[in-house]
Amino acid sequence: MSLRPLYPLLCAAALAAQHSDTALKNPFQSPDDRARGGAFYRSQCASCHGIDGKGGAGGPNLSTGRFRHASNDEGLFRVITKGVAGTAMPGFSMNGREIWQIVSFLRGLTVSGSAGISGDARAGQQHFETNRCMNCHWLNGAGAPRGLDLSAIGVRLTAGEIRTAITDPSTEVAPEYWIWQATTKDGKALSGHRFNEDTFSLQILDNTGRLRSVNKADLREQSLDPSSPMPSFRAKLNDRQLNDLVAFLATLQGAAK
Amino acid sequence: MKSAIFLLAFTVFAQDANWTTYHGSYSSTHHSGLTQITPVNAKNLELKWTFQAQSLEKFEVTPLVVDGVMYITEAPNTVVAIDAATGREFWIYEHKNPEVTYPCCGKINRGLAIRENTLYMGTLDGKLVAIDAITGQLRWEKVVVDYKEGYALSHAPLIIKDTVLMGTAGGELGIRGFLAAFDAKTGKEIWRFKTIPEPGEPGHETWKNDAWKHGGGPIWLTGSYDPALNLTYWGVGNPGPDWNARVRPGDNLYTSSVIALDADTGKLKWHFQFTPHDQWDWDSVQTPVLVDREWRGRQRKLLLWANRNGFFYLLDRATGEFLQGTPFTKLDWASGLDDKGRPMLNPGKSPSPQGTEIYPGVQGGTNWFAPSYSPKTDLFYLNVWDDYSSLYFAWDQEYERGKWYAGGGIKAAVQSVRRDRLARRDPKSGYGAVRALNPSTGAKVWEYKMTDVSEGGIVTTASNVLFSGNREGHFFALDATSGKLLWNIYLGGQTAASPMTYLVNGKQRVTIAVGHTLYTFGLRE
Repeated sequence: MSLRPLYPLLCAAALAAQHSDTALKNPFQSPDDRARGGAFYRSQCASCHGIDGKGGAGGPNLSTGRFRHASNDEGLFRVITKGVAGTAMPGFSMNGREIWQIVSFLRGLTVSGSAGISGDARAGQQHFETNRCMNCHWLNGAGAPRGLDLSAIGVRLTAGEIRTAITDPSTEVAPEYWIWQATTKDGKALSGHRFNEDTFSLQILDNTGRLRSVNKADLREQSLDPSSPMPSFRAKLNDRQLNDLVAFLATLQGAAK
Repeated sequence: MKSAIFLLAFTVFAQDANWTTYHGSYSSTHHSGLTQITPVNAKNLELKWTFQAQSLEKFEVTPLVVDGVMYITEAPNTVVAIDAATGREFWIYEHKNPEVTYPCCGKINRGLAIRENTLYMGTLDGKLVAIDAITGQLRWEKVVVDYKEGYALSHAPLIIKDTVLMGTAGGELGIRGFLAAFDAKTGKEIWRFKTIPEPGEPGHETWKNDAWKHGGGPIWLTGSYDPALNLTYWGVGNPGPDWNARVRPGDNLYTSSVIALDADTGKLKWHFQFTPHDQWDWDSVQTPVLVDREWRGRQRKLLLWANRNGFFYLLDRATGEFLQGTPFTKLDWASGLDDKGRPMLNPGKSPSPQGTEIYPGVQGGTNWFAPSYSPKTDLFYLNVWDDYSSLYFAWDQEYERGKWYAGGGIKAAVQSVRRDRLARRDPKSGYGAVRALNPSTGAKVWEYKMTDVSEGGIVTTASNVLFSGNREGHFFALDATSGKLLWNIYLGGQTAASPMTYLVNGKQRVTIAVGHTLYTFGLRE
């Protein structure tokens, strides 16, 4: 049976069902669909979102498993067909099947939780606790707000990337996690994380845990340290423990939708 | 004689009181003769009124003001008439676009043209509409182009004599660009200049294969006009596909060029191609600034052009002769320009499958937001994106009707359109500045440095005040002679529009679109 007559119906239903509790399921999820979605992605989306889906000059990273304007496949379908107001994202005039295939491809961009995992996640959770990772990290609504949120780290990073982040935390640190340090004109030292910055001021979370705005005119000097404040755990964990911890972190996909 | 002088004075006054074209004047200097706001009293500027747009699309309009009435477009294609003194609406005209249209980068519109009592607007579904400026009723609408092929009309039209000039966007969708003139009363097409010459037309030899069929060359920013020469000047956008230039050997005329057309016939008088065989998406869609000025001991009719490719050009606008070109931002794709103005390319600076880092980044050294020239200071002012690069990718791609046809992509720390509401990128990845250049030499005279880059245009006044807004959310006044900050207000949204200034009830006002709001300021009384 050909599905073709269903496409307009699927499109209409996808658009109409936005506020219903029963989200539409993507009917085109086969490996073939994903491959075709990849071809559409490359020609229609990659200019802005990057060939690897990790973002470009205009479009955001689509490989984290979390989407700012969609909470499920149906939402992704809507974003692709209608665009996002106020941004450079236009609506695309493809047929319903093509759009579902792109959705399938996008879902495939997130990292599989099990790829390259050999450790024991349960033991890894023990190491996570004994090493007090939550003293600096945030996980499922608790922990320290200054560190990287690990709630969906299992879909944001591959097992290899998680391992590197534990053994060599400074390999790649996003600017929002860089340590900001400054000295005021009256000699006070300040440090913290930059949340936001413009020509006149910085909005920071200082190292006492306070949100504060700092006028640049009051500063004598300021600097940014792009290295991670996290120590390397290379020497603190043996291979097995490291594998276990990676396995545990790879299971953290809870907040991803 | 006396009455002639009086008439002339009145005309100048009325011109300065009003803002009757997108660029404020045919010469597009974004300079106003108004003088009430000065470097001394600018600190007393205050908010007079705001207009809240209903649309959440980017607000890129520069308003028109005619005798106390302001006309704006709210994205994508809603026209609103507003009391320029209070911000109260008189009427609203909504053009209904189809569900799917084909703008490359947001459902935007930059503004209107007015002639007598008729307003003109291009629409995303390829129409030119004429609206009665008194009542807001539709007079006529005319299909300019089949939007389903990837066309979209986004710039403010330009009125010349009895015609309305309109070009098209679509450089990322495999279109073939054009500029067309329509009878202002009836909408009948008078002439059409194709920016991609067809077989048998001059310039077609710069396309070596069938690539011209989807060659791009959009026009998405309003041009300028020299009544004495009867020439109209328009910037033409990138060739298609943007980055995979291997498939379109040749110079690819008239992409990434300025064209000078006879305003009555649309015939090409001359052209100058800033970026032959453009591989970087450097649309030459900047404001053509017309200045009569001495250059090297001789009075010249000049065309000043700060191009997206990073060079600031001086051309003779009567003949198209290249006079001078100097870099105004960090660039590494060319080592300079030869004596005809052709870039001398550096090797290894083409987009590639693995990505090539190139300065400047894809938004170029500047872009469509307005620069300004002030005859008072004899300086050229622009918003510069400096010391930033992009990774340019190229890959093969087949053309499909109405689909994206860019043949590559971009990665950059500095975003084309800032998508994150918070700004915290590496400060070493580039910065923005309002910069004043000496037109004779291209040398920097001063700059007002900002942390982030800006998509805000500039307006200057005869009292030496410069206004601009930026992506950070600030709207500010600088001393046009020194770059000193005179006044600043944080408006909490990104600016992607050019400001304008006008007189209402004898009082000077300055207006800017920021975020989803139009703000109007004046001096405290």
